[in-house]
Amino acid sequence: MASSSTTDTNSVPVLPAKEEKAIGIWQDSFGRLMKNRMAVLSIIIVLIMFFFAIFGPFLTPYDFLKQDLSIRSQPPSSEHWLGTDYLGRDVLSRVIYGARTATLVSLLVVVLSSFIGIVVGSISGYFGGKIDFFLMWFTDLNMAFPNLVLGVVLAVSLRPPLSRWMEQMYLSTANPGFRQSSLLDLALVVTVIVLVAWCPYARVLRSQVMAVRNHNYVLAARALGLSTFTIVVKYIIPNAIGPVIVQMSAGMGSAMLTESAFSFLGIGINPPIPSWGNMINESLRQWTSAPHLLAAPALVLGLMTVSFSFLGDGLNDALNPRQWKG
Amino acid sequence: MGEILLDVNDLKTRFRSRGKLIHAVNGVSFHVNRGETLGVVGESGCGKSVTMLSLLQLLPPAAQIESGTALFNRQDLIKMNFRQIQKVRGGKVGMIFQDPMTCLNPVLKIGDQVGEALIYHRRVTKEVALARAIELLRLVGIPDPEQRVKDYPHQFSGGMRQRAMIAMALACEPDLIIADEPTTALDVTIQAQIVELVKDLRDRLGVAIIWITHDLSLVAGLADRIMVMYAGLIVEEAKTEDIFDDPRHPYTLGLLSALPAFQAEKKVRRLASIPGSPPDLRAQPISCPFVPRCPFAFERCHSEVPVLMPIKGGEGSGHRIACFADTREWRAKA
Repeated sequence: MASSSTTDTNSVPVLPAKEEKAIGIWQDSFGRLMKNRMAVLSIIIVLIMFFFAIFGPFLTPYDFLKQDLSIRSQPPSSEHWLGTDYLGRDVLSRVIYGARTATLVSLLVVVLSSFIGIVVGSISGYFGGKIDFFLMWFTDLNMAFPNLVLGVVLAVSLRPPLSRWMEQMYLSTANPGFRQSSLLDLALVVTVIVLVAWCPYARVLRSQVMAVRNHNYVLAARALGLSTFTIVVKYIIPNAIGPVIVQMSAGMGSAMLTESAFSFLGIGINPPIPSWGNMINESLRQWTSAPHLLAAPALVLGLMTVSFSFLGDGLNDALNPRQWKG
Repeated sequence: MGEILLDVNDLKTRFRSRGKLIHAVNGVSFHVNRGETLGVVGESGCGKSVTMLSLLQLLPPAAQIESGTALFNRQDLIKMNFRQIQKVRGGKVGMIFQDPMTCLNPVLKIGDQVGEALIYHRRVTKEVALARAIELLRLVGIPDPEQRVKDYPHQFSGGMRQRAMIAMALACEPDLIIADEPTTALDVTIQAQIVELVKDLRDRLGVAIIWITHDLSLVAGLADRIMVMYAGLIVEEAKTEDIFDDPRHPYTLGLLSALPAFQAEKKVRRLASIPGSPPDLRAQPISCPFVPRCPFAFERCHSEVPVLMPIKGGEGSGHRIACFADTREWRAKA
C-alpha cells in the first residue's frame, strides 16, 4: 500500500470525530452575510417586496384599475389605507401592483445585463490583448451615453414601428397578446436600460478575471488539458464573480430607479399599468393638496433602492472578507 | 536503457521584458527514457521551470519558444497546435506544481477536481470520474477518500493538497509526470513522505518522472539521472551515482559542497556557498556563464561558450559536462 508509509499503524486513542458537513465558500459567505444586521433587514424588506410582487393580485384590497370618481383624491382612511388618486383608484392596490412592475423590470434588467456583462467581461479579461482592447473600447463608448437621452431616442424611434408591427401581427394572427401595449412598454424599457446597464458588470468582471487568471490553479487546470471554456466557466468565473454579485444587488436598485425615471417621463411603463414612476408623475399635479399620493410611491421606491444598496454593501463584506482588515 | 520517451533538442526560450530579451533557456538538449526518473537541479531562475513549461506550451504570453524540438512519443510538442497539445496535457503528461496551497480551485470539491481531467480526456460520466477520484486519492494515501472527495481544498492540509495534486496528475495514466519543485512549499517530514509516495507510485505504475528541484539531496534517492542547469544551460548530466561520486563541473562541485553534512564526528562548520551570483540573462553569453564564479577558470573559458560533451574517459556512461577545465585533474593537484 502506498499509504503504509504515511498513515500511522500504531493508532493513538482519539475521541470519535464529529460528523461535520463540508462548508464551501458560498455557505461561508452566507454565514457572514447573516451576521450583518443592515443586510438582514434589507433582505427581509426585499423578500417582502418579492412576496407582494408575486402574490400582489391576490392581496390587493381593490382592483388597481377600478375608478370611482365620487371618491377622488381622498386622504388615507380605514377603507383606503393610502387614500385614492385623482381618478378614485385605491393607491395601496396601485403601489402593490407597482411593486410587480418594478420587480419584473429590475429582475429582467439585472439578469440580462449581468449575463451580457459576464460574457463580455470574461472574454475580455481572459484573452486580453486586442480582444480586450476592442471590447473595453466598446464598453467605454457605451457607458459614455447618458442613459436617459439614449432612452428617449430609442423609445421615440422604436415605438412607432414596433407598435405598427404588433398591430399587423394581431391582424394576421388574431393573437390578443399583440394588442398588449404594456408588453411593448416592458420590452422597450428593459432593452433601453440593459443597453447601458451591462457595462459596469463587464468592467468589474474583467478586472477580477485578470487577477484570477494568473492564479496557479488556472495554470494547473491548463496543465490538465481542460478546454478554455471549462477553465473560464469552472475555474475563473466562480472565483471572480463576487463583485459582480454585489453589483447585481446595487443594479436591482438602480434599475428600479431608472425604470421609475423613464415612467415618470412617460417613455417607460405607461398608465393605466401602475409603475411607481408614473404614479409619481400623476400625483405631481396635486401634490400640494394631496401630498400622500406623491409620498406613497416615492417612499416605497426610496426604501427599495436603499435596501438594495445596503444589501449590496453587506454582500460586499461577506464576499470579500479580506477587506475587513480587522 | 529503455526506449526514449521524450527527446528535447536545442530548446531556446526567450522572454520579452521592457523591450529587452531575457534568454531564459539557451539551447537545452536532454532525453527521458520510459519509466525513468530524471532530476533537474539548479538555483532559482536557471530555467528549469521555463524549460518544462515550454514543453507543454504553458508559457506566459511574454515568453516565446525561439527554436528547438521536443519529441514526445516521436511527436514534436513544440509544433503541436492547441487541440493537439491539449490532448497531451493531463492526458499523456501530468504536471505537479510547486505550491499546493494555491494550485487547487477553492470553489470546486476535491473529488470534482481530481476527476475533471477524466471527464475531459476520457469522456467518462461524472459518477465514473468520482469513483476513479476516490480510487486515486486512496492510491496517494489520503485516508477515508469516500468522505474526503466531498471536501473543499481549504479543508486539506498542505501535504494532502500535494497528494491530491499528484492524484490529479495521475488521473489519465500519463506516460510522464513533470514535478516542478513539488516539495518546496512543504515542511521536511511531509517532503520525505511525498518523495516516498512518488517513488512507490513510479515503481508500481512505471511512469517516467521529471523532478525539478533546487535540492540535490532530495533527488539523490529518487532520480536515475540528474541534470544540473545553470543560466539557461545544462552544465552537467550524469547518472545519480556519478553526480555524487564523480562530479566534474565546478558548479556541481559547488552545489555538493554546499550540502550540509550529517556525520556527527565532523566539526560543525559554516555551510559552504558559491561566491557571486548568477549572470544577467539579458545578454547573450560569449563566455562560459559560470566564469565569474568559477575557481578553475582559465583564458579559454572567457572567450568561448562550452558545449555539453561526454567526459574524457567516460564516453559510454552518459556523463556529459559543459566545461573546458577538467576539474578532476585540478583536484588531484590540489
